[in-house]
Amino acid sequence: MAIDELEKKLRPPEVQLAPYPSKVITLASGETMVVRECRREDTPALLGTVYPLLGVAKDYYDVVAARMYNEILAWYRYRIANMFTLVGSINGEIAGIVTSRHVDSHLGMSLHTLTIKRGLRVGAQLFAAKMEHHLEYLKEDEVWIVAESPIGFKRWMIEYELEDRGSQYPAVRHELGGVPTFVLTRKLWDAVRAVKNTGTRPVAPEVLKTADKLTMPNEYVQLPGWKRNG
Amino acid sequence: MGARVGIVGIGHCRFGNSSDYDLVDVIAYSANAAFRDAGGLALRKEVDQVFVGNMASGLFNRETAVASALVSRMNMEPCPAELIENGPASGASAVKMGYMAIASGMADVVLVAAGEVMRAVTGWEATDIVATMAHKEAEYNMGLTLPGFAGMVTRLYMEKYGLTERDLALVAVKDHDNGAKNIYSHVQLPVTIDAIADGPSANVVNNYVAEPLRMYSTCPVTDGSAAIIMVNMDSPKAKLFKKKPVRVAGIGSATDTHVVHNRADPLVLGAVKLSADQAYKMAGIGPKDISFAELHDAFVIFELMNSEECGFFERGKSFLAVRNHETDINGRLPINPSGGLKAKGHPVGGTGVSQIFELVRQLRGEAEEGRQVKDPKYGMAVNFGGFGNNVITTILAKD
Amino acid sequence: MIDFSVYGEQTPHISGWRCQNCGTIYYPAPMVCKKCDKIRDPTTNKGWEEFDLEGPCTLLTWTRVWNLPEGFNKKYLMFGMVEFENGLRASGRIELEGDPKIGMKLTARAVEADERPGKPVKVFVFS
Repeated sequence: MAIDELEKKLRPPEVQLAPYPSKVITLASGETMVVRECRREDTPALLGTVYPLLGVAKDYYDVVAARMYNEILAWYRYRIANMFTLVGSINGEIAGIVTSRHVDSHLGMSLHTLTIKRGLRVGAQLFAAKMEHHLEYLKEDEVWIVAESPIGFKRWMIEYELEDRGSQYPAVRHELGGVPTFVLTRKLWDAVRAVKNTGTRPVAPEVLKTADKLTMPNEYVQLPGWKRNG
Repeated sequence: MGARVGIVGIGHCRFGNSSDYDLVDVIAYSANAAFRDAGGLALRKEVDQVFVGNMASGLFNRETAVASALVSRMNMEPCPAELIENGPASGASAVKMGYMAIASGMADVVLVAAGEVMRAVTGWEATDIVATMAHKEAEYNMGLTLPGFAGMVTRLYMEKYGLTERDLALVAVKDHDNGAKNIYSHVQLPVTIDAIADGPSANVVNNYVAEPLRMYSTCPVTDGSAAIIMVNMDSPKAKLFKKKPVRVAGIGSATDTHVVHNRADPLVLGAVKLSADQAYKMAGIGPKDISFAELHDAFVIFELMNSEECGFFERGKSFLAVRNHETDINGRLPINPSGGLKAKGHPVGGTGVSQIFELVRQLRGEAEEGRQVKDPKYGMAVNFGGFGNNVITTILAKD
Repeated sequence: MIDFSVYGEQTPHISGWRCQNCGTIYYPAPMVCKKCDKIRDPTTNKGWEEFDLEGPCTLLTWTRVWNLPEGFNKKYLMFGMVEFENGLRASGRIELEGDPKIGMKLTARAVEADERPGKPVKVFVFS
């Protein structure tokens, strides 16, 4: 059997997901963050941004970074089905990344949320954007959610009033580690959308252009003293 | 009233997250800095009395008797030491005790050091611990939190005087502007009025915490410490210190009902007015003589209400002054030039000494460029011990 | 003889207090009367009378709190301060659809709450 044939079998079937319409959010500092869906050509900047955090044990950054690195690389190499990545960038510099999977027309599987720029609720905004994509643009009925950080997860659990499906384990379990899962249903999302999800659309072309070529942060608050360029 | 008391050394740490460090080390860090500022660590042996301010180390950190621990950490045995606890006014009360020790003649040199490490617990636990200041049966058990009280009082103030959410945001913009220039501030990020009030994302970016108070109307959960060295200015020991003392001109102190719903008028902070009037009387001055003020602003509504009770503005009119930028760093009466509790942060038991640290820095002319008050003569600090039910006002003078 | 009624269904009540010496009423209870200096001994409560604080009240102010303390795993809770017809005031939780309005008439009742560790506590609910 030719390698090409085998490659086709190793790849997930090609499915065109509905695109995420870009939006812009003005963060508390007055800086504008463009939230857009990632393309294959963003891969080097995404991987390069995630990579240094593999070494940060604090706040579960290491395991989230390791798993997100895996997801983005697998997506690039066509070894994960129906995954999407959203990036938040400020003047092109990556501020946060979220990954997720569209399982089928009814179900979304939330993967990871990684905040690079801290102190501006970037993670909260991108998590909400991810849920927006699942429920409003991909039109699924519900999203399964787990997390590595118990404190981070407790915030979502309370603020979104996530449904606990732990009692249905192991029949119902999350792809991430096969653990008991919590769920954001459409009803729960509708109850919090107005206070959780924001952004202006469409994004002005000159603003969208600034987010065209993503750049990696040179320094990280999470890595004191480390610099990308010497 | 007794001997003249002056401040000859000050120390402070960067406010923020110190949960990797032991509380006593965090407080000692600022004490060390205060001695260095005063002329050197050898001055430790001149100290006659140590007062430590801390609110809830037993709950946040599972450590108690912190004053005794600090003395050993600083190798200052057998110096007498007491912990002063007055909720979030522990710091100001510790300074008041230092003043009383010197004025009474029982001490010539006093170290006052205060701090809190709140981030040793989660945010929900910190909210719960802070709520323990409320009346147990009538308030704490209901699930009420300090932001909850502040939300209810803010609503009343808005109904009566026409304050808007945007006005609260304007105060936050000013505080963050100042905090951004303060090297010790927890939050050094300026915020814009568009982002937190006017713009289309403001409702989410500046989300409600206790309606009508929003996130940028409430202080962060902060770790940190500050320390000062006080001296009897007329004693021979005063000559040991290299810097000219900044004099404690007036102190006032008063209480109000513990239960907030039992205030005669919840919009009147009677304890603030009483303590401010006492401090003015002791200092022999009035509100017009105050060059700048650090006013307890765990919630932005307090900065406004305090400024009225201190006599700077008529009741219900302070937010109009904010709209006119009168309380900006370059305004006629800068309020919270440090960034206040809003931006600088609020390590509850430590805040009172941090306010005094700022007063001294400003009066010495040592504040950072862009937030130095022009030619200050008198600085005032108001520190709350509860929800306005225990207030200490301190006035310092540059002689 | 045993008072078997203690095993029955107990409706929680929150008490106001009256100094029997001068008639001044309080909530919560003080340890000494503000008006006539009569002390209250909590072991006997002699000279002090408890009465149920409940029923019609007027809303003085309210808030919706989004960041609740440890143990309250809810998105938000509404709280308010009310005044009873007898002039006493109280703080407690509000249970209403939509936003309350200052000045509205509500009914106060006591319920048991157990969000925190330890014995359940009595809580006002205004609805």
